[in-house]
Amino acid sequence: MKEIMVHLDRCNGCLTCSLACAAAHSSSGTIVGAMLEGIPGRIFVQAAGSRPVPILCRHCEDAPCVDACMTGAMQKDPGTGLVSNEGREQTCVGCWMCIMACPYGAIIQKPGEKKLALKCDGCPGREIPACVAACPNNALVYEEADAFSEERRRKAASTLV
Amino acid sequence: MTSCATCKSAENCVSAHESVNQMYERTKAMGLSTAFDRYLSQQPQCGFGMSGVCCQLCSHGPCRISKNAPLGICGADADTIVARNLLRLAAHGAAAYTHHLEELAKTIKATAAGKTPFGIGDEKKLRDIAGVVGLDPNKPVAELAGQLADVLLAELRKGSEEPLALVKLFAPKTRLEAWEKLGVIPGGVLSEIRDALTKSMSNIDTDPVDLLLTAVRLSIATGYMGLVGTVTAQDILLGTPGLVKSEADLGIIDPEAVNIVAHGHVPLVATAVIEAAKDRELLELAKKAGAKGIKVYGSMCTGQELMQRSGSSAEGFAGQLGNWLVQEYYLATGAIDLVMMDMNCSLPGLKAVADRFHTRLVSVDRVVRMAGVTEHVDYDPEKIAGQAKELVKMAIEAYKGRGKDIFIPKNKSTAVGGFSVETILGALGGSLDPLLDVIKKGAVKGVVAVVGCTNNRSGHDFKSVQLTKELIKRDILVINSGCCSSATQVEGLMTPEAAEQAGEGLKSVCKALGIPPALNFGSCVDIGRIGVAVTAIANALGVDPSDLPVAASAPEYLEQKAVADGIFAVSFGLLTHLGPIPPVTGSALVTKILTQDIEGLTGGKVLVEENPVKAAEAIYAHIMKKRAALGI
Repeated sequence: MKEIMVHLDRCNGCLTCSLACAAAHSSSGTIVGAMLEGIPGRIFVQAAGSRPVPILCRHCEDAPCVDACMTGAMQKDPGTGLVSNEGREQTCVGCWMCIMACPYGAIIQKPGEKKLALKCDGCPGREIPACVAACPNNALVYEEADAFSEERRRKAASTLV
Repeated sequence: MTSCATCKSAENCVSAHESVNQMYERTKAMGLSTAFDRYLSQQPQCGFGMSGVCCQLCSHGPCRISKNAPLGICGADADTIVARNLLRLAAHGAAAYTHHLEELAKTIKATAAGKTPFGIGDEKKLRDIAGVVGLDPNKPVAELAGQLADVLLAELRKGSEEPLALVKLFAPKTRLEAWEKLGVIPGGVLSEIRDALTKSMSNIDTDPVDLLLTAVRLSIATGYMGLVGTVTAQDILLGTPGLVKSEADLGIIDPEAVNIVAHGHVPLVATAVIEAAKDRELLELAKKAGAKGIKVYGSMCTGQELMQRSGSSAEGFAGQLGNWLVQEYYLATGAIDLVMMDMNCSLPGLKAVADRFHTRLVSVDRVVRMAGVTEHVDYDPEKIAGQAKELVKMAIEAYKGRGKDIFIPKNKSTAVGGFSVETILGALGGSLDPLLDVIKKGAVKGVVAVVGCTNNRSGHDFKSVQLTKELIKRDILVINSGCCSSATQVEGLMTPEAAEQAGEGLKSVCKALGIPPALNFGSCVDIGRIGVAVTAIANALGVDPSDLPVAASAPEYLEQKAVADGIFAVSFGLLTHLGPIPPVTGSALVTKILTQDIEGLTGGKVLVEENPVKAAEAIYAHIMKKRAALGI
């Protein structure tokens, strides 16, 4: 199963991922349109000192947000592995247990009158998630976790000889 | 946020100054968002912009250069985009300096016609300069002043093909030779700005090397007109600075007075307001309102201009509050009644803090406008006497609405100011020889100008203060100007007593002469004064500026005027240290030219070093290399 993986050293904090995410979830489908509509990005680039760090939902196994959800709105799809409340918005009561449970702070409040949790939905219907497709630095990649670790191993090995 | 190593608790401080740290705690408690907060909320900042490879010139953009996309849509590569962006920054700086000079030239002209409250503050300098530019120096003062103002205005406006007279007249011969070889002897500044902006439009000049040479040419024009020309015109009008003892830091704010702050760069309105504040009727008005008096304080470069002339045209100046990053915090004392914002450097964030209190913000220059500020008293040389009184009345009115929530930090420091070529010559008995002797003997290893802005990138004023301390420790005499002057003033480095912090050699020289180890050369435009001093030393020794044991540093450079200044310093032949990394690192070519190759062409180069201790070591090594080459 492919996932959104992060090469931290390649990120230069340009925020394109966050803008592309907002565009993908807007009705206009464009960055400027999303900004006018007030659509937030669901991936965040957080500053740690002077270093930018992309933060996004890891779609955890036994996800704390799913455990914490009292109403069953937040669920992990056994087929796709994605954690989401999409399609069950009516069930969400906006108690923010998921927000409090997530160790990464990857869940936010959806702008609007109704209290509703908002998070990465993995971009269903897209071959590559919008944030990954937009990253100009290849800091975000969409691949199997094992493929990512293999690349890391290869790199580590080359520094040892 | 900070890289300060001055004390154990520094990690938690936003500023090198205790007063500002206290004020920041107060703004936080009041729920006011200020520059230090906004800095954090802007993090992280985009790496493309920071490395200079973001091009937003045409509607195809923004194009950002990366490994995946090494060319913009038009085909421009990182080198072109970086060089073009840099030239645009320098053009902005050049334009702002030109505005300053133009205001002065117009004021001198109106003064010559007897239409302003100003006089000619330095007749000798007027006659000297008039003679140099080819006027008859024996004419009556007013006539000569009017003619010199016309010469300055004509120099500003002439074509780029006509060489600038001030460059030919004031630059060392060796410099002229180097610049002629490169084809960078500039013409009129306005024409050079036009050329620079034309070339840096999309698809006109896309050759990175030519773009950099254009920046060099523009910066030389800026150096000799915007810096040297402005300083000279200012001295002629308001008087050449003389040594003065003044005060700095927020503790000088008098809670019992009507408090006016002169903030910005152009000291014309402020000089007239200091005079108006002595008016009996206005003093009476202030007393009726319940105040004990009227005080005019300085902020940023306008303050430095007033301080260095507080023995003459700005007599009555109440002292310097601080530099660029201090403006929101002195407003938050609640004890400032009116801020006169002249050209350059008024934060848009000022309005929110002013509104929290009773403070009136007034723009006093036609180019300064701020959203929400509706009061404009735009400087007019022929009306300034009346305008100054109006401003004082506005301050008295504002004072009446002053609230009870006032907090003024206790910190204040003594500051000696007013150094210039003239005051140094005066102190040395009319010759530079005593200074050159102590440099030759090695008691003073060299001279470094630590100048320019303040910058929050690694904490307010930490780098300028620490670098100054590290240099004087190594027996290097420091000259400060601009926001760096405020930084070291507040920390007491501009007092003769600070000699104790210097190395043994510099300490003995400072003690013998009774001078501080960091000399206050004034405002950022007074970098021109430093250029004149270096030229005088080079001429006295018969060498090029690039051969001297001197260097320039802008440890906290911030805005576009500083970009033009920095390129001028490199063109002038100086090793030029920058603290913040300039937005050029996205181009290997531009980075290499600025930090290496240009040394073969102009003798100067850029040294980027964020760590002040390492920067001091590198500058020291440079100075020792130059000393060895001179055989001293």
